[in-house]
This record gives sequence, structure tokens and C-alpha cells, in this order.
Amino acid sequence: MIVTKKREFNELMENIKNYKSVFLLGCSECAALCGTGGEPEVKAMKDALESEGKEVTDTFVAKSGCQVLGTKVELKPFKDAIDKADCIIVMSCGAGTQTAVELYEDKPVLPANDSLFLANMTRLKVFDERCSLCGKCILDKTGGICPVTRCAKGLLNGPCGGSKGGLCEVSKDTPCVWQEIYSRLIRLNQLNLLKEMSRPKTKPVHPRRLIREDLKLKKEPIKKI
Amino acid sequence: MNSKKFVVTAEIGPNKGIDVQEIMENAELIKERVDAINVTDLQSSVMRLGSMAVCHLLIDRAIDPIFQLTCRDRNRLALQSDLLSAWVLGIRNVLALTGDHPTLGDHPEAMPVFDLDSVGLLRVIGSLNEGFDMVGNQLKGAPDFFPGAVVNPGADTEAAFEMQIIKMEKKIEAGAKFFQTQGIYDLDLFERFMKRIDGFKTPVLGGIILLKSAGMARFMNKNVAGVFVPEPLIKEMEETKDKVKTSIEIAARLIKGLKDLCDGVHIMAIGWEKKISLVLAEAGL
Repeated sequence: MIVTKKREFNELMENIKNYKSVFLLGCSECAALCGTGGEPEVKAMKDALESEGKEVTDTFVAKSGCQVLGTKVELKPFKDAIDKADCIIVMSCGAGTQTAVELYEDKPVLPANDSLFLANMTRLKVFDERCSLCGKCILDKTGGICPVTRCAKGLLNGPCGGSKGGLCEVSKDTPCVWQEIYSRLIRLNQLNLLKEMSRPKTKPVHPRRLIREDLKLKKEPIKKI
Repeated sequence: MNSKKFVVTAEIGPNKGIDVQEIMENAELIKERVDAINVTDLQSSVMRLGSMAVCHLLIDRAIDPIFQLTCRDRNRLALQSDLLSAWVLGIRNVLALTGDHPTLGDHPEAMPVFDLDSVGLLRVIGSLNEGFDMVGNQLKGAPDFFPGAVVNPGADTEAAFEMQIIKMEKKIEAGAKFFQTQGIYDLDLFERFMKRIDGFKTPVLGGIILLKSAGMARFMNKNVAGVFVPEPLIKEMEETKDKVKTSIEIAARLIKGLKDLCDGVHIMAIGWEKKISLVLAEAGL
């Protein structure tokens, strides 16, 4: 999931200092898992804003905040509450925040969270970055462990000389991912993969767009009676 | 490098600033005793005067420089361009390195580039040498660099050690014609390493870092990537009444030990360039 962290409340208050009323929009997916956009957090934010003298016109936790069309449908019953609000605060990742911008062109939209990284929740409430969304997966070459993401230098041809005791030169809390890749490839009897020369990665050009024509619904023509 | 002579190289690290007097003096002091001098590229990710400029100044003094070029700060455009620029300024030897991570230095928030890795950089040098940039465009005038790379025989886990050897092979395939190592303190480990790479047929210069004090040794153990000074040596530095003498002794001892194991020595004096002659003399070189 996309890991998010609550922004500093005073910074958010600074953002909305000229607004009297707020509509709160959360998200039931990644943000709820991270404790930054589910029902309890939305309620807590409502209470916090109200104790600062703001009016919360209403709140809603979208099913998938990043899904613009779905969220548009879900928010139809809240039209009046949103119209009445001076701004919308979105408690999700940056994509969810920008859904509100797509839907309400003239309404100020503020993010409640900082979006951090794409992670596995490896233990309860422990989130470890696992995927950089690099666009060209090389997990087939590294036993399924990602050096693009988990090597601080994103090295593809094996480790640098900086590791100590199997730990990364950047932090003693971080294992050298190449050490992990090595152990994994030994276990899988695929060490020969390490001997292949990897070419430099093509960095993505932002912003990216993908269109899946093949997935768009083919509508049945409406029969004329 | 092609001769059977035991090669001696040294290293200077440019300062933060434009004052080059001291490093030039140090270089002059050792120029007769060494075959070439490396100039580091923003060593330890600390912002400093650049390697290319200092290499060029060394050429003016008839000293053969080894241009250290890391992948930390420059993308593939800048790396290729800087190589061409280096050639035009008279530089012929290049050491291709990954580079320390910016978080280790004094601008920790700088973007870590690493667009290429050291293997990729060696391939790029090979490409330029053949008259093409890395995407296949023909160059108007090709350089003919002598490229080297780094290996760390002191890698301190089984996996790290094996991967250094695998990567060394890749670097040779990518065009590396010589290797310099990080500071060696464990001769048994180094011998084991040299036995493993028997047959690679590429000269290796063993790295020696002059220890200035026990404190420096401990600092390196904690902060410098890839260096490990064992406790007995730290004790020697702690207990001595003459740090310089012991430092020279240790360095000479290590050099004597690796003389028969590899093709040369690379001395990193880190400010004690004036002691290099003494070290070499005591090591019998």
C-alpha cells in the first residue's frame, strides 16, 4: 500500500487559516490501513478542527479515494455539504487529494497527509518500502528482492564496497539488500543470475499515463423499441 | 602497469575551497617516489574542489594523475561529457567508482544520482574509447582512457566477499584494466582474496591507509565505508609514545606483507603525504 503520515496539525491550520468551514474526505484503502484516513482518524480530525473553531460541514470515507469516477458517484449525496464548505481536507495519499481537485475545480483542497512510499506491512503497523514503481520490473533477476528500492544507491550489478557486517553504509538499521539477494539466490540455486551484466535503468519521465483500451467496458447498444 | 615493476600510487583529496597550495606541495614531495597520483571525487560526499581541475594541475607539474570519477553526482550525460573534458585537459587514467552515498557527507539532502553504476561507467569509458557515446552516436575524436576500478577484499561477510569477486569479474568484462583496493589491514584475508582471483589477469594495487591515531582508526571503523581496522592495530596506535613512527611501521609491515601477493600498492596518506617516502623506504621499496 501507499504509506501516509499525518502532516503537522499547525501547518494544516496555517493552510486553512482563512477558511471557516471544512468538508473532510478520507479513504478506506491505504490511508485507513496506515491510520491516517479511516473512520476513526476522520472523526479525530473533525474533533480537532471543531476545537479550533472550524465548522465541519460533513465527513465521508471514500471506498477508493484515487478512483475519480467512483468517488464522484459516492460524493453525490454530499453535494450541499461540499458546496457549503470553504475547503476540502483530504485524508488520503496525494492521489486521493487530487481526486478532489479533479471533481471540484473551484474548491480549495488541502492534504491532511504526507505520502511516503509504496510498502509491505511486514509486521503489525511496520511498513517497509518495497517498490519504487520504476516501470521495468527486475525481480525476475534478483530472486524477487528489489535492489532499485532497497539499495540506497539503486545498484543493479551487485553491492558497493560500503557495507559493514551486512548492513548498508547509509544506516546500521538497514540490511544491505544485495546481501539478502545473495542469500535468496543461494537458497533458490540461482546464483548465476548475479553474474549477468545489468544495463542502466531508463528513468521514467513524469507524469506517466497508462490507458487500457482493452479494459474499457464495451457498452451494448441500446435497442430502440 | 605492463612491466613487472611493483607499482606505487598515492592519493590526494582536494580541499573545500580554491586554495591548492598545500595539496600541490604534497604532490611535489612525493612525485619522484610514485608512479601516479589519484585525485578523489568529492570524497566521503563532502563538497570539495573537483578532481578534474586538480588532475589538470598535476599534469602541469609533470605528475601522472588518476582521475577518480564517481556515479553519485552526475547523470550519464554529465559523466560522458566530463570524460571528454578530462581527456582534453590531458587526463588519461580514470578510476570508475560508485561513490559514497550523499547522506555520509556534509550535504546529506543532495540528490543521489547513481544514474550509472561503476560497471556501467566502465562500459561507457570503453564505448568512448571506441569512438561512440553510450547510445551509439559517433564521436568527433575519441579518447583512449586507461580505466581502473575498485574492489574491496576486506568485505566482511561471506556474501559480501563473494559478491565483490563477482562484481570484479563484471568490471573486467566491462573494461577495467587495473584495480585499487580500499585500505587493507588483514593480510590473511587479502591473501585469500588474491588466491580466489588468480586467473583474472588484471593488476591489483593493494590499498594502504596511514593510521594517524587510535581515534582515527575508530572513526574510520564507524564512519568510512568499507574500511575495518582490527583491534590489535588500534591498540598499537593507542599504546605507542610515537604515533608517527608506529604508523609508518604498521604501513611498512602491511606493504611488505602484500608485496608478494599483488602488483602494487596504493597509499592513502590523508594529509600525511610527507610520510610516504619514509613508509616506502621502510618497506624496502
